Amino acid sequence: MSEFFSMSGYGIYLWPAFALGIGVVVLNLVMALSSLSTARKDARRRLEINP
Amino acid sequence: MKAPALEVARLVAARDLRLAFRKPSQLLQPLMFFMIVATLFPLTLTPEMSRLRDAAPGVLWVGALLSSLLALEFLFRDDAQDGTLEQFALSGQSLTWMLFAKTCVHWLLTGLPLALSAPIAAVGLGVPAGAMWSVVASLALGGFALSLIGAISAGLTLGARRGGVLLSLLTLPLAVPILIYGADATHRAIVGMEIAPPMYLLGAITVLGVTLAPLAAAAAVRIGLE
Amino acid sequence: MATWTWFHRLASPPHVYGFARRWTPWIGGAAAVCMVVALYGGLVLAPEDYQQKDAFRMVYVHAPAAWLSLMIYTTMAVAAAVGLIWRMKVAHAAAAACAPVGAWFTVAALGTGMLWGKPMWGAYWVWDPRLTAELVLLFLYLGYMGLRAGIEDPNKADKASAMLAVVGVINVPIIKYSVEWWNSLHQTPTVMKMGKPSMDTAMLWPLLLMFVAFALYFAAVLLIRLRAELLRRERNASWVREVVT
Repeated sequence: MSEFFSMSGYGIYLWPAFALGIGVVVLNLVMALSSLSTARKDARRRLEINP
Repeated sequence: MKAPALEVARLVAARDLRLAFRKPSQLLQPLMFFMIVATLFPLTLTPEMSRLRDAAPGVLWVGALLSSLLALEFLFRDDAQDGTLEQFALSGQSLTWMLFAKTCVHWLLTGLPLALSAPIAAVGLGVPAGAMWSVVASLALGGFALSLIGAISAGLTLGARRGGVLLSLLTLPLAVPILIYGADATHRAIVGMEIAPPMYLLGAITVLGVTLAPLAAAAAVRIGLE
Repeated sequence: MATWTWFHRLASPPHVYGFARRWTPWIGGAAAVCMVVALYGGLVLAPEDYQQKDAFRMVYVHAPAAWLSLMIYTTMAVAAAVGLIWRMKVAHAAAAACAPVGAWFTVAALGTGMLWGKPMWGAYWVWDPRLTAELVLLFLYLGYMGLRAGIEDPNKADKASAMLAVVGVINVPIIKYSVEWWNSLHQTPTVMKMGKPSMDTAMLWPLLLMFVAFALYFAAVLLIRLRAELLRRERNASWVREVVT
């Protein structure tokens, strides 16, 4: 198991690299969902003000 | 009535030249900027000629690029502000050719003088005398390509707030190939190699630019004037 | 004609919105499954490389990120062109939605490239043609987003940035070629190739699956962002009312 984490010694580069990749994937998903939710809230609010 | 495009281009070019020479001091500004930038590099790097010679292609081309970017602001700005550009667009004549004429005049007034005076800066950077002709030729050709590309970004930023910096940011990535081939030509000239390969490629880019850039610039200007 | 109805529906914001809402969960789910399987295949199953040992496994995150950064730019440019030629608002909205995602993946490609470069070449940054071209691509993305932000009128912003995207995409191959030329001029003692080891099948399939996973992921994220863009742009339309209440 520790072999897996050390990745023949390259672990300190490999795992941050994957963390960066997965991080960007998660970040963009979260940002997209958040922008959608904000857009929906805004649309709802405008409809309440201006039916 | 649609006049022959070349005739329209000639008229626009003549007008631009006439207007430019009313304020000759403005013509010197990009040149002075280039000279100052070329002086800053030795001041910040080293006075050793041999090391400056290695850096010379970079210094000359980055300096030329920066001066060109500064001068690009003047390509359309005055005409956009006083409504002339709009008149051009509405005139029913070929906006593409009119903008091409403006771009050519822009190069004649900034890029070409810069190329011709580059030897002065080049001497200060340790460039050997035998390389000077190539330095001038490569800067002249590259400068023309830069003016063409710059016309597109100048058109695109017409409608933008604080378009000045944005214009530079947009032009820089597009200018990378011109810089690479131009600097390579200058470098080859300095070390005494044949400059034809990069010059041909620079020429190819310029030809592509001549055919496509004025069209793109005209489209960009129309968008900005809407 | 069936083809034209399909095209016309593509231009209709409510129709695209509905399509996006229905399909996103499926596409996203498929992306997640592919990603997990590909990661397992690449990190666990694939044998280590002869030269790079386990370091080569970084290809499973670096190569898809780099490929995606380029694919997104192309998608953005195509959407922009469609928006300009057929004056489709939906196309312009799609182009706007692409940009931040593409920029982030360019950052990811650069970052993972640097982390791969340090053990392989001894330095975090080398002027390798691939990395350098990715850097210029990042500048192209930032310029696009800067132009959009700098123009107030949304219509003008759409069209101007669309022009920029089209001009940019024509330049990308020229830039790549010139950067490769530049790199070949200055021969360095060690051959600096972005470690594409000759891959056997066990190493290759996780990589291909990762590409598929990233492409599906991008489709899902794009559809989500597109929905948000459409809601913002079409705020006064009646279909918005039905969708959010």
